[in-house]
Order: sequence, then structure tokens, then C-alpha cells
Amino acid sequence: MYWLLWDRTIKQPVERGKQMAKTRVAMELGMGSSLRRGDYTQAAVRALKDALWHNSLSMAEAFGFAKEAMIVDVEIAVQHPDQVDTATVKAVLPYGTGTVTVTHGGLDITKPTRNRAAGTSDKTIIAHAAVLVSFDMERQTSAPTTAGARV
Amino acid sequence: MTRLILELGAGNDLYGEDYTKAACRAVQDALHHSSLTLFRTLNLAHGDMQVNVTIGVQHPERVDAAVVAAELPRGKAIVTVVHGGQNVTDPDSGSVSVIASAAVEACLDLNPNDWQLSPT
Repeated sequence: MYWLLWDRTIKQPVERGKQMAKTRVAMELGMGSSLRRGDYTQAAVRALKDALWHNSLSMAEAFGFAKEAMIVDVEIAVQHPDQVDTATVKAVLPYGTGTVTVTHGGLDITKPTRNRAAGTSDKTIIAHAAVLVSFDMERQTSAPTTAGARV
Repeated sequence: MTRLILELGAGNDLYGEDYTKAACRAVQDALHHSSLTLFRTLNLAHGDMQVNVTIGVQHPERVDAAVVAAELPRGKAIVTVVHGGQNVTDPDSGSVSVIASAAVEACLDLNPNDWQLSPT
């Protein structure tokens, strides 16, 4: 038997004696497009790269964790989620474990007829990417706390 | 102070040649591509955060650093302006488009000894 506590600091139940488990430390946002090919995977990959390469995270170093301990969950939103190859999207991530989920969102814009070149798509695609970075972490119970961290 | 994140951004003022406006837009671009959720999830204080902002423009003396600093919603902001960015001149009209680069570093006094990965 274990107790569930309502921890008002993280607004979710946590096990007694445990500070927290999977803890989200950062979110990165990006947008990508496929202007000519109508390729949802390409738009998703570009959105993910936009999210990742706008920031340089040094959370792992700050906490003294290995970079491989990062849990990187990617949420992609496009108008046709079934047409996104999640393996290709996931291959963009340089390290860490995690998931890629695709939901309905983003935006498709129909091209004016006169702008359609032969062999190109009839629509312009926008994809959004949200990268949720977490660690399965908790506060050290033995070590004394110092400035910057408050319980 | 440990750096948690470096946020990058670019902003422009296409026709007004307003270097401060371009710098503010670059800062907004940098800020709104990420969120430091750890302040909420680990219950840390935003006020303890130090924010180092570096702006790059072709005419650093024309940036009002106090106005740029006001763009930062949390933490103690220090704005430094250096020569950088990019100016693009239209040779026909003579108009100059001003492009600013922004680097925003969020730092916190964080002791790694206070934290550990959960045992698996």
C-alpha cells in the first residue's frame, strides 16, 4: 500500500517519499513547411529542426545528468497525421529517448491554379512541432539544499 | 550561475531603420521558441534567474538597451549590444533593412548535488 499526495507545486499526485518522477524541464516550439512537394514528413522534420535549433539546452549539464537521460517527446501537428513518417522525424533527434506523436493541426493552404507548376503539389503545408524535454528525476534527500532551489 | 538554456532569435525593421525595434523583435523571437517549464515543475523562483541578452546589429549605438531589457518578462536582465546583425540595402531606393540577432542566456544558481535521476 502506498499513499498518494496532492503536491500543489506540480499539480499532480506523487508517491509519498518521492519528490517527483518524469519532470518536464523545457518546451521548444517550431514551425516548418513544405512549399512545393506537399510532403508532410518534410514539413514535420523542418518544424522539429526549427524547434531544436532555436535553442541550446544545457539542462543535463546543469543538473549533472548524462545527456542520454533526456526524455524527448515530440508532438507534431499537421492536417494529415497519417502521412507523417514518425521514424524519419525521430531520426532528427541527436540524443535521448522519447516518443513522436502526430495529431491533426497545422495548416494546408491551397495554391492558386496559376501557381501550380507541373509535378508539384497543389497545396502548401505548415507543420508545428513541440519538443517536451523531461528527466526522470527527483530531489536528493541526503544532500543539503542551496540557493536557487526552494521546496 | 549555471546556464540552463541559450535562446536564439532574429528580428528586423524592414523600412524604419529602427535598431531598437529590430532588437526587441529578435528578443521576442528568441524567447517564444521555448519555455523553461522547470521553474514550475521543480518549484524554482523566477526572480533568481539571471538573463544575459546579447544583441548584434550593424549600429550598436542606435539600440536603446533599456527598452530591450523591458522585453524580458522575468529575471534580472543584462543587455549587451555588439556589432553584428545585418543591414541589407536596396541600391535603387537606398532604403536599408535592419536585421538584429539576439542571444538570450537564462542562468540560475543550481547545485547539481541537490538533484538525481530517479532509480529505475
